[in-house]
Amino acid sequence: MKGKRRRGAVIAYLFLALVCLYNLAPFVWMVFTSLKTDKEAYAIPPTFWPQEPTSEAYTQVLLWTNFPRYFLNSTVISLGTALLSTLIGSLAGYGFSRFIFRGRATLIGIILASQMLPGVLLVGPYFKVLAKFGLYNTYPGLILAFTSITLPFSTWMLKGYIDTVPEELDQAALIDGCTRLGAYSRVILPVIAPGMVATMIFAFLLAWGDLLWVLVLTSGDKMATVTLGLSRLVTQFRIIWPQLMAGSAVGALPPVILYLVLQNYLVEGLTAGAVKE
Amino acid sequence: MNKRRARFLVFKAPSRQELEGYAFVLPCVLMLLLVLGFPVTIAVLNSFTPLWSEAKTFTLENYVKLARDDLFWNALSITLRFVGSTVLLHLIVGLAVAVALNAQIKGHRFFRVIAILPWTVPDVISGLIWRFMYNPTSGIINDLVRSSGVTRSYIEWLAHPRLALPSVIFSDVWRGYPFVMIILLAGLQAIPRELYEAARVDGATAFQEFRHITIPLLKRMIIISVALDTIWQFRRFGLVYNMTFGGPGHVTEILSLYVYKQYFRYFNFEYASAVAVVMAVIMLIISFPYVRMIVRRV
Repeated sequence: MKGKRRRGAVIAYLFLALVCLYNLAPFVWMVFTSLKTDKEAYAIPPTFWPQEPTSEAYTQVLLWTNFPRYFLNSTVISLGTALLSTLIGSLAGYGFSRFIFRGRATLIGIILASQMLPGVLLVGPYFKVLAKFGLYNTYPGLILAFTSITLPFSTWMLKGYIDTVPEELDQAALIDGCTRLGAYSRVILPVIAPGMVATMIFAFLLAWGDLLWVLVLTSGDKMATVTLGLSRLVTQFRIIWPQLMAGSAVGALPPVILYLVLQNYLVEGLTAGAVKE
Repeated sequence: MNKRRARFLVFKAPSRQELEGYAFVLPCVLMLLLVLGFPVTIAVLNSFTPLWSEAKTFTLENYVKLARDDLFWNALSITLRFVGSTVLLHLIVGLAVAVALNAQIKGHRFFRVIAILPWTVPDVISGLIWRFMYNPTSGIINDLVRSSGVTRSYIEWLAHPRLALPSVIFSDVWRGYPFVMIILLAGLQAIPRELYEAARVDGATAFQEFRHITIPLLKRMIIISVALDTIWQFRRFGLVYNMTFGGPGHVTEILSLYVYKQYFRYFNFEYASAVAVVMAVIMLIISFPYVRMIVRRV
């Protein structure tokens, strides 16, 4: 009996070690390539370890391209999207969680179904309409566009979170003389802070990783994001892989760090909100 | 039944509690009308009536064209193959990893951190990394294949008509399985351990435990993760855009990429809208059972 369990653990270890290798190999390849010279990156057959490690590619990307600007744009747009959709989403989540009103189930159905609308259905009209309102190639235009993807699931995730908070808390606050808005902002929001963080990370990751919208709703370098900048580098006639991988490493850093620091929030949020019982 | 119908026929002033509810959801509803309802309406209208040209007459031309367009059918078939294979592989790999992580061995927290990592990276960036890994002459994959002695040739993973789609799918498995894994792991952790202990006492094999305890109790989580994954995979864009841009020829041209090209390469705005509308309808039909399952429980 005991031996059987032991064998199971050994198999689990071996399997997970393989999984780690599989998961990390592309990251290692990215970082190693970014530390190579251009010539070495094109060597046939390829080298694995950088023969003469150099930070040349990082210097090139960070100092001689508009990459810092892209980084700033990605940050502003992703943060704006995360804040806006979490704020509005938590209000609506509270409404759906605490009140029974006519049309409630229909509205929830529509919000869920709206997640099925593909981005390419929306980009055309956005492209035509944003220009009319002077929002083409601006932060507000892009944040509005991203909100169309992030708001439905933010609402849904936060409703799931608020459902787990007992209603007695609201009642107590109301008896103490709080208004409904007061009960929401002073009592519920602090309790669901982990859920807010999870929702914000999720929205941030989505916005940070998007390519389609920035491709369509920006022109030139002023509003370009990290993903767009990298996609432009790869369509050039000759791809300079160390630079591209350096840019990729820098572009992947914020999501990876966010995840590593706040991973418990994210994992709980995904499972509590998206998959609530 | 009568009572129910009456509620729709007779207008009853909303109670205070209802009004408060509306007030809380109002910003969200208005926002969604603005950022989703409005553009969707434009897209649908535009697929029937050109909004940005002189002749604004109703026409079904775009849908007739679509039915006869080989490239549309090609894109649809590629999309179904891409979504079908990636979702299935995400599920298989995700389930295997989730089961291993649930074994509660020492260091499972560490393993979990690593297991989720690829999913945090933007698909654009994972596409770029894999593109260089697939490079025929300087990529690590060919180097491994060549040094293992299977072949001496430089395989064009992403430029070969037969290999391009499987190669893209293979790289997407790396990127996408962790999401399914997280959800399944949560489901596994909710299964009471006593069930397994009881089964063990009864002399069940590991496979029997998996087949008769794990799978039935995980069913709901499997449905949810597959539904969510299908939705995301249907919209996948950046990965393919940067790995192949739909090529070689059109063998990796998924619908989202096809619509994008119709819009912004050929500037067929009305036609692109029509294709996107059809794509949206397909997604709504596929996900209808999922939405219904969720709404029934709210």
